[in-house]
Amino acid sequence: MTPQVQQFLDTLNATIPLEGYLVVGAIMFAIGVWGALIRRNAVVVFMCIELTINAVNLSLVAFADYLPDAGGAGVGYAVLVIAVAAAEVAVGLAIALAVYRTRRTVNVDEVNLMKG
Amino acid sequence: MAQTVGQQLIIAAIPGLPLLVFFVLTLFGRYLKEGAQFVAIFGVATSLVFSCFALFFVLRGDGPIDFAVNWIDLGEGGSFQMGVYIDGLAAMMLVVVCFVSLMIQLYSGAFMLGDKRFAWYYAVLNLFTASMLGLVLAPSFIELYVFWELVGLCSYLLIGHWFEKPSAAKAATKAFIVTRIGDAALFAGIIMFWRATGTTSFEGITQAAQAGFIGGSLFTVAVVLVFIGAIGKSAQFPLHVWLPDAMEGPTPVSALIHAATMVAAGVYLVARTYDIFVQSETAMLVVAYIGGFTALMAATMALTKKDIKRVIAYSTVSQLGYMMLALGIGSFTAGMFHLYNHAFFKALLFLGAGSIITAMNSYNIFEMGGLRRRMPITFWTMVAAGLSLAGIFPFSGFWSKEAIIGSAFEEHFYVLYAMALLTVFLTALYIFRAIFVAFMGEPQTEGAREAVESPGIMTGPMVILAFLAVVSGLVGTPLRDFFGELVAPSTFAAEVLGLEPHPFSYLLAAVSVAVGVGGIALAYALYVPKPERATALSRRFSGLYAFLDNGWYFDALYGALFVRPAMAVGRFVREFDQRALGRFVTGVGRGASGIGERLRPLQSGGAQNYALFILVSVLILGVIVGAQYAFLTVALIAGIALVVVAVGARL
Repeated sequence: MTPQVQQFLDTLNATIPLEGYLVVGAIMFAIGVWGALIRRNAVVVFMCIELTINAVNLSLVAFADYLPDAGGAGVGYAVLVIAVAAAEVAVGLAIALAVYRTRRTVNVDEVNLMKG
Repeated sequence: MAQTVGQQLIIAAIPGLPLLVFFVLTLFGRYLKEGAQFVAIFGVATSLVFSCFALFFVLRGDGPIDFAVNWIDLGEGGSFQMGVYIDGLAAMMLVVVCFVSLMIQLYSGAFMLGDKRFAWYYAVLNLFTASMLGLVLAPSFIELYVFWELVGLCSYLLIGHWFEKPSAAKAATKAFIVTRIGDAALFAGIIMFWRATGTTSFEGITQAAQAGFIGGSLFTVAVVLVFIGAIGKSAQFPLHVWLPDAMEGPTPVSALIHAATMVAAGVYLVARTYDIFVQSETAMLVVAYIGGFTALMAATMALTKKDIKRVIAYSTVSQLGYMMLALGIGSFTAGMFHLYNHAFFKALLFLGAGSIITAMNSYNIFEMGGLRRRMPITFWTMVAAGLSLAGIFPFSGFWSKEAIIGSAFEEHFYVLYAMALLTVFLTALYIFRAIFVAFMGEPQTEGAREAVESPGIMTGPMVILAFLAVVSGLVGTPLRDFFGELVAPSTFAAEVLGLEPHPFSYLLAAVSVAVGVGGIALAYALYVPKPERATALSRRFSGLYAFLDNGWYFDALYGALFVRPAMAVGRFVREFDQRALGRFVTGVGRGASGIGERLRPLQSGGAQNYALFILVSVLILGVIVGAQYAFLTVALIAGIALVVVAVGARL
């Protein structure tokens, strides 16, 4: 890590406190949950879920950078979460495709076979 | 003494073989069909041979055969054992049970021919025999009780063999319920003994009672409870009502129940636990007086019966009364001797009745008449059995009955002596009334005119039994009492009772034979030369006649006292069940289904709704957990409010 980059990061850290990242993460998470609960299009729902996941990732990376004793573990977690998210999207989109093939729709409101 | 393994196997096979036959016939009966009888007869014949071995072992003088294996181990609380105890008494019973069972199984082959549950009949017959043999071998109350219940079950199954007939089904139920009263009492007695002494083995209880671990009124109550069990099984007053109804079963079954298996179990129980009984004077008196009273009562009931099987059934009740009487007054050997003799002539009487029924399909003696010429073998064997039953010299019944009546006199039980002597008279009267009406005079119906002698497979066993009914008593004559040497009360019992040998009294014997002959003479006078005399007599004493014919109105009494109240309770319970419990249960069900109906919309099938529930729940949990952080709480409440607004907008 060159001194220039280190310096830039130090400046950044000095200007933006940890809470800044956390607030951004919280907002992203809230938007994601709101979308996942509200949107009707299954694909959009997935996108919102991705948003929540990335909000968490942001928090993790921020913690990893700001907490002196973390030892970069948060970054490792972030990589793990990205991998899991990829898998989740693969499965989720496959389900969405299958539903679309059988029911000709991806509107989650119309997929209610489990209704009691 | 120790036995070899071979001997132990032989002993175990005695009840084991009929049990095996039961399983074989139950599993393969439908393929064997009529062949079932050969399997059964082979099994029980082998058992008979093995029983003779057992008798031989005992006679050889090796002392009682005694071995056991652990059955239930209670750890600290002791253990229950399954074992075998064969002394002279048990060996004698084994041979009698196997022999009578064999005769009856031979006979049944012809009697039950064409029955649609032929193999099942033989299967249960063998289970019955096996249970009785197991009961005879049992060295402890708990093992005895197991077989005791099995005997009860088999009698239920066999009495109700023709369960399509409502009367047979009812008779079976009645037999089961009435004997169950006795069984319950017996079980209570066993528990009392076990609590007090920590053992159920006869020997252990005897010793514990001697040592004073159980005594006084508690001991007497326990002994009397055990005796009530015997009352139920042996059809003694006041639980005798089931036996006459048990005549609904096939006739060979009646023979088996009356001669060897079911009813003998009660007498055998008292004899087996004699060392315990003798320690309670009260219990012995109860046994003696119940026995004496039953003997007399049943004999009077038999006087008026028209159904030949019922006459014989009441005579069984009466004869069992004699045995109980003998045991109660301390005349152990005489009682068991009568059990032994009774087995042969009573089985024979029933087989004879069965032979008549096969020939003319009627039980009513007044529809028979004149069968002497049509069925000579049946006639003569029945006469032999009748003379034996009436106690006429030198038939087998004479020796044992005389021993009982004689010791009643010599032990100074004069009331019992009078009752027994009167019973001798009545016995001779009723049994020869049945024989004379059925076999003498003119045929009363078409059936009686066309009756033919039964086939050899039926008359064969009858002739063998008739031979025994004549001579079986000769093993216990005053000249040389082989039986008394084999089956004697223990020295302990003899000491407690203070028994001393009485010389055979020719005077007493002559008196009772004279009374018996008098009974036969009266039966002849009433029923043979002028049968209308008996009819006139019964009309003159119509009240008494009805009283006897209805069995002293015991059925009516029990009906009013127990059956009807029980029915009323049953109806009440049913009403309560339907009205109160039923409504309650239905209400609970309806409530649950109503709530479910209300909650149903919650399960919308939409994944987003579920996610919303999860989110709301998590938030609420968060509030509860983090309640101490006021700021957080406020923030969460705000969040929830937001979500609720969002949901409201969404829905």
